[in-house]
Amino acid sequence: MATEGVEKTSEDAPAAGKVCTRFDLEKETELRFEVEAGEAAEQVEMELLTGMAEVFGSELNRNKKYTFGAGSKIAVFTWQGCSVNLYGKPEVAYVSKETPMLLYLNTHAALEQMRKQAERDNERGPRVMVVGPTDVGKSTVCRLLLSYAVRVGRRPTLVELDVGQSGVSVPGTVSALCIERPADVEEGFSVQAPLVYHFGSTTPGTNIKLYNKLTSCLAEVFSQRCEVNRKASVGGCIINTCGWVKGSGYQALVHCASAFQVDVVLVLDHERLYNELKRDLPHFVRVVLLPKSGGVVERSKECRRDARDEKIREYFYGFRGVTFYPFSFEVRFSDVRIYKIGAPSIPDSCLPLGMSQDDTQLKLVPVTPGRDLTYHVLSVSSAEDGEEGVRKGIVESPVCGFIVVTNVDTQTQVMKVLSPAPRPLPRHTLLIMDIRFMDMK
Amino acid sequence: MADQNKTDTEGQFYNEILSPSELFAARSRSHKIPVRGQKDFFPNDSDEQRQRLEQTLNEHWSLISEERVERLANLVKATWVPSDQIVELQSPAGKFWQTMGFSANGKQYLLPEEALYLMECGNLLVFYKGLPLSIQDGYERFLSSNTISLQQYQVFGHLKRLGYVVHRFDSSLEPSSYMRQLNLPQSRDKTVRQLKRKRSASPTSTSTSTSTSTSTPLSSHTETQKESTTERMEEDKCSREYEEDKKSESHFTASSETPEFQTAATSSADEAAGRHWWMSDALTDPGHTSDHSPTSGSSRWDFRSIIFPDLGSREHHPGRLASPDPSLLPGALTVGVCDVATWSQRINLRKVKMSSKEERREEDKHRRRWDVNKDKEVRQCRNWTEYQELMSRRQGKQKGRPEHLWNREVTPLHDPRQPISTGELLDKISVIKSTNLLEGASSIKGSDEWRICFNVYQPDTVADFKKSNPGKPYSRMCVCSFHSPVPDLRALKLLAFQSGDIPVVFAVVDHGDISFYTFKDFQLPTDVYP
Repeated sequence: MATEGVEKTSEDAPAAGKVCTRFDLEKETELRFEVEAGEAAEQVEMELLTGMAEVFGSELNRNKKYTFGAGSKIAVFTWQGCSVNLYGKPEVAYVSKETPMLLYLNTHAALEQMRKQAERDNERGPRVMVVGPTDVGKSTVCRLLLSYAVRVGRRPTLVELDVGQSGVSVPGTVSALCIERPADVEEGFSVQAPLVYHFGSTTPGTNIKLYNKLTSCLAEVFSQRCEVNRKASVGGCIINTCGWVKGSGYQALVHCASAFQVDVVLVLDHERLYNELKRDLPHFVRVVLLPKSGGVVERSKECRRDARDEKIREYFYGFRGVTFYPFSFEVRFSDVRIYKIGAPSIPDSCLPLGMSQDDTQLKLVPVTPGRDLTYHVLSVSSAEDGEEGVRKGIVESPVCGFIVVTNVDTQTQVMKVLSPAPRPLPRHTLLIMDIRFMDMK
Repeated sequence: MADQNKTDTEGQFYNEILSPSELFAARSRSHKIPVRGQKDFFPNDSDEQRQRLEQTLNEHWSLISEERVERLANLVKATWVPSDQIVELQSPAGKFWQTMGFSANGKQYLLPEEALYLMECGNLLVFYKGLPLSIQDGYERFLSSNTISLQQYQVFGHLKRLGYVVHRFDSSLEPSSYMRQLNLPQSRDKTVRQLKRKRSASPTSTSTSTSTSTSTPLSSHTETQKESTTERMEEDKCSREYEEDKKSESHFTASSETPEFQTAATSSADEAAGRHWWMSDALTDPGHTSDHSPTSGSSRWDFRSIIFPDLGSREHHPGRLASPDPSLLPGALTVGVCDVATWSQRINLRKVKMSSKEERREEDKHRRRWDVNKDKEVRQCRNWTEYQELMSRRQGKQKGRPEHLWNREVTPLHDPRQPISTGELLDKISVIKSTNLLEGASSIKGSDEWRICFNVYQPDTVADFKKSNPGKPYSRMCVCSFHSPVPDLRALKLLAFQSGDIPVVFAVVDHGDISFYTFKDFQLPTDVYP
């Protein structure tokens, strides 16, 4: 057992005052540790001493210290065996032999086989959709497969459809990101020029029509890119989805499969979903059932909310809040137009007999700026400023960036915003999100 | 101090000292104001009514004729300056200075209404020609057409007693409508100081200079915005342009409904309950094996050679996966065989938690729907493009609005496919309309018949009230008499325009009884976000 190799070597701890624990891992085992959540939690540092190991598909450098902040849940996996030092006090740390990594690696091998074939036949590469309920490690599997693909020289695309816990941009958006290098062990994928669309809420259920529309938009843009970029085409894409697998959420998955024309669907740990998808997707789509890792931790509502908050903070202040310096300035109400996507529906009694309305979910409703705007996150749409005609394109236009309203002065008709760039705003069409962010800390 | 004994000489009066018993009597007097009760509807010449009236009158007179006793040391001394219609303070002001009075040329002054109010409160003793004025004198001298009328003073006193801070309204200090449009800071203090500083420059030039400075950021916006974004969005620019041209609307609706295309199909036998429903499904269902079935159109991927570790289809795979080709793996890894069988036992088999409503819906769906791949035509499809073509062929026409409703002369008020906010809808129905008191007010010529008299500030601001920078008044008072005509719409609009966004309240005085009226704009309900 690998755990027998654990020995306390606290006396020669090089990090000032931190407890040092050494773990020796056998081949194909993984060290799982969690850093305590909360403000006061101590960071944990990890160092690879001998052998080779990887964290979610990204290889570790030997003798380099990796720092993990509060709430991190990390698995260090080794194919060959290694020894690792942990400095600091993780909440839990144990070595597990039971990991589905070999299954995931085989999945990668199959996908890589498909990419090879695509390269040979001058066709497009595999498009993979990862589905499953919440807390089964969908994002981690995506990261793993993307990192492996990059490491064998592919250029896959990550399509992030999880509006609650987006790995690319702030929550409440769907996005696509071309992956050019493996994920950073601490930070994740480097976010450069992602394609982001405004959704506005943390669950697709609030506006399922818009969600499906944006999925189609992303699919469209991705297909365009594949036509002009051979590498991207061969690399294919990996689609991360929401954990909502019932009712409309399931319909959204089927729609996504159809929009992206997926070749492979990876179902994580949900046999019923697997069978449903087998039934509802045409036969040429390969549906694969995979187990979840035992290391996956269920996250509480608070934990998800904190993660969302952290993601927004990261957008403005950079990773760990040190790299970026956002700007704060005033924007006059008269200079911007604020919209919300999805009009309130007309009461049925106002409709002619036998008519129903269905398109209002995609329409723009002007929002009158008021005090209730405070703390809302606003997306700056890249739609051209100008005529009414442009209005149509706003929903389908990607987002340039995000601002947060920190203060509203109704008397002078200005609002103070937190922005990643100095004034002026690049565009003046703003889309309001349900998500709020308070710039504290 | 004594109100009545005017015949006394100055020295006697000034040195009048009350005996202890008199003082005690004055101090222990009831301070209650007699309650007047309800008015009788009309005089009925009865004795009872006459008596009641007399009694009330007596109470009233005795209250007025009562001697007010104050400590001399508590009284602030001041003199009446008739030439300026103003009261100049002679001794240091009391606490009232926070909200009343003003200084000029190093002297402290009170406006006549303020002085009179303070006299009534027993805070002030005003001398004229060396003699102290009684309250009655004060009423006679201070209230005139040059200062303020009795009715205006009554309103002033009433509001002061309620705790409000009341200042005279000066229309020249109000920002003009032009300044309001520009959103200039409305502090009275600032504008005054600005004017003071730039006395040499004409007032028009200052206002234009501020206007240009505020509008510069506007103009610079348009130039810089392009450069900053082009860089970033370059990558997907072409795709977006393409997208905008495309009518993706129809495409979208077609594809979104693919899962439901066969709702009218015969019921499937798929009703086995419990956790084994998928097992039976998998066994009885030929569609499941379709990826290997020779009858189906073959996909470009040959999943017989591309092997996924699929825990779902046990029947197709051995329990073990051969080790993958190292050339496919990152870092040229070599790994052993993979045991799928052990994992298949660990897969999540727990039932999905669903509400009863959801469960019913699901059941219903299962009964109506069957496997897509049972369809022969679907099995012939080799890829998504063919499949989607098939689906859109089957989809048929889409539903639009019922055309017949728009054919005739009378059409529905609103096309339900267009989004509309509640406010707009109400506007369309136009049973009632919003009103705006300020509408057209700017073109009305001024008249002197009605004017705003006072700025009123709320009592809770008194603690940090600054006379030099009083901020925005809570409301403005226009004093009317009950006997004079009602202000017409013209006057209302004019006053409202003069006051800007601060409500104008009409104080109507009826023999000392004051009632307040205000006119409010009516707004149709609009959507409030969220």
